Amino acid sequence: MSTIAATRPGQTLKPFVVWSVGLHLAVLAYCVFAGWWAYTHRGENWGGPGGSVSVGIVGSVPAIPLPLPEVVSPNRVVDNSKGLFKSEPQAPPKPPPDAVPIPKFEKNKPPKIISPKSKVLENPTPPPPNAVPYGGGGAPSIPVTSFAMGAGNTQAGLAFNGVGGGDFGSRFSWYVTAVQQRVSSNWLQSSIDPSVAYAPRVVVSFTILRNGTITNVQLTQRSNVYAVDNSAVRAVNASSPLQPLPPGYSGSYVNVEFYFDFHR
Amino acid sequence: MKRKLRSFVVYFAVLACAALVSAHSAAAQDWFQTGTGLGVSKAKLAVPDTVARSTFGPPLPKVFHDVLWSDLEYSGIVDLISPSFYPLETVGQPSDLKAADWSAAPANAYMVAYGSLSQDANGMAFAGYLSDVHSPNAPVALQKIYRGQPNEQDARRMAHQFADDIIALLSGGQPGIAQTQIAYVSGRSGNKEIWVMDYDGANQHQITHLNTISLTPRWSPDATRIAFTCYVPYRGVTSAQICIYSTASNRLISFPRFRGTNSSPAWSPDGQQLAFMSSINGDPAIYVANADGTHLHRVTFGAGVATSPVWNPKTGKQMVFVSDRAGDPALYLSDADGSNAQKIDLPDMGYVIDPSWSPNGQLLAFSWRRPSGNYDIYAMDIVSHQLVELTKDEARNERPSWAPDGRHLVFESTRTGTRQIWTMLADGSQPRELTFQGQSESPSWSQR
Repeated sequence: MSTIAATRPGQTLKPFVVWSVGLHLAVLAYCVFAGWWAYTHRGENWGGPGGSVSVGIVGSVPAIPLPLPEVVSPNRVVDNSKGLFKSEPQAPPKPPPDAVPIPKFEKNKPPKIISPKSKVLENPTPPPPNAVPYGGGGAPSIPVTSFAMGAGNTQAGLAFNGVGGGDFGSRFSWYVTAVQQRVSSNWLQSSIDPSVAYAPRVVVSFTILRNGTITNVQLTQRSNVYAVDNSAVRAVNASSPLQPLPPGYSGSYVNVEFYFDFHR
Repeated sequence: MKRKLRSFVVYFAVLACAALVSAHSAAAQDWFQTGTGLGVSKAKLAVPDTVARSTFGPPLPKVFHDVLWSDLEYSGIVDLISPSFYPLETVGQPSDLKAADWSAAPANAYMVAYGSLSQDANGMAFAGYLSDVHSPNAPVALQKIYRGQPNEQDARRMAHQFADDIIALLSGGQPGIAQTQIAYVSGRSGNKEIWVMDYDGANQHQITHLNTISLTPRWSPDATRIAFTCYVPYRGVTSAQICIYSTASNRLISFPRFRGTNSSPAWSPDGQQLAFMSSINGDPAIYVANADGTHLHRVTFGAGVATSPVWNPKTGKQMVFVSDRAGDPALYLSDADGSNAQKIDLPDMGYVIDPSWSPNGQLLAFSWRRPSGNYDIYAMDIVSHQLVELTKDEARNERPSWAPDGRHLVFESTRTGTRQIWTMLADGSQPRELTFQGQSESPSWSQR
């Protein structure tokens, strides 16, 4: 009993071997040729005419005219006061029930230092119910210079009643919000030099006419960073025309002071 | 006597002038102060159920309310408050509104959009209001009556109009997109034809019946015409040509045939010119012609293929196109006449195709297949060359097209297994599938 024959009688492997060797040689020759070709022609087609600009990936692009997420700024006021009373110390963690106490090394016991009790910290009167705990005082931790619209009791739009500001801000706070949103979305912070990380507040004042046109754009407070000043004025100019003034408003124009706080 | 009279008149004139000036300056006392730098809070808006003043056969008040809710939710600029927090009262007109109930917890609303739907002999009317419940002495911010016929289509249209008015008010004069449309290619009728739907996926209908292949639709800036690539046989020869369809007259407008392959049209911002790829002289390059096909001229001359042109929609003075002159397809930024072409070098390899320029001219969206993954949508700031990946790990996402408000993008995606049209906010959030049947691709968002 012989093994199963790989070839039928009368057929040899020779033509297959020849073809195989030939093909392998051809592939090898192609590889050598392609390598030589790539070496001699390297860099010829690179870039095309006119050079190129390079691009970097970031987390978000500020130019999308969507409202940016609210950022709560850290307190500007550094609180060095000691506060009114001490907050309650945390209870020490309970040891596990099966813990075995480590015997203390008794020999070199340090001398017991007796220090007098501080009389300043002992306050006989109980703290009032609305007292601020130690370290928790200072300015309230709300976004400085921003106004919340969501919470029910805060005043939107910063109305300056009785300061000669009229009551536009309180009557038409939605209009103030709309102006804020529009100008913010047109403020191209990406056009500011990346090396500038912070700039003092810029204030731009302008007038909104009845039909929403912005006129009389003036820089009333400069940050002395030229790019930031310029971008603020551009943001205001790019927002014209705004929504026409509310129909319920009888005046023919409204003056606006718009501030820009730039920081990265 | 005469002199006395004259001085009297002068005296009165001065008095009248003074009165006028003082009245003027009293009105000019109004000013407000606001600013930016810490992000912008979205307006918290409550939208109670639409009140039905008549009996409707089909549930039109519900349709109206659902469409309004969906439009506002997708606008990206307001926060809608969940209805479970609303006070238990129906609000159909300003006198029904108890502002304190809405501005207090748990609703904490800043504004309330409400109204009532009624039907009479003239048709259906919706009286819509937007009130600032936060400032009790504030007048109603918006009150308007919308009219239509008592059917679902008009109920949707009226809700879109009301939503657009609200969005325009709250975003400072930038119009909403609720009444825009999306053109796309779908093969669900057997051939690839051009279809059109509302921006929310409703009212999908086929507009071309050429029974061949139609590709790459592009709305003209005034949204009256759609230019696309068609394969209409002419004297026995079938080649890719530019076709223009008028949505005003519902038929094809004549546009000349050119030799070779002609595809991927793009409108200039004024709607007067078309840029497209043509191989009329052999090499596939970008050509520009007037919208009636006259004054054809070549604008790109580099080696290799140049295709998929887009104009800067803000200025019309720049163009971005795709070319493989340096190897893989990449984006090139050039002047509108084709000069000063610069390659936009991305920080990775791979194919970069399908550019779309945002309406404010600041961002470029495109699809990019990086060696590590599939096609994904990216947005690039033209000025600072910063790049954001908007889709990730969601199968193939290609061919973005901007909405006119610059806050939304429409694109095609295979994330459900079939190729369908999706939209999302321009920061990549809130993706929504618009088409579900067959295969749909190559969307274009109308610019009004």
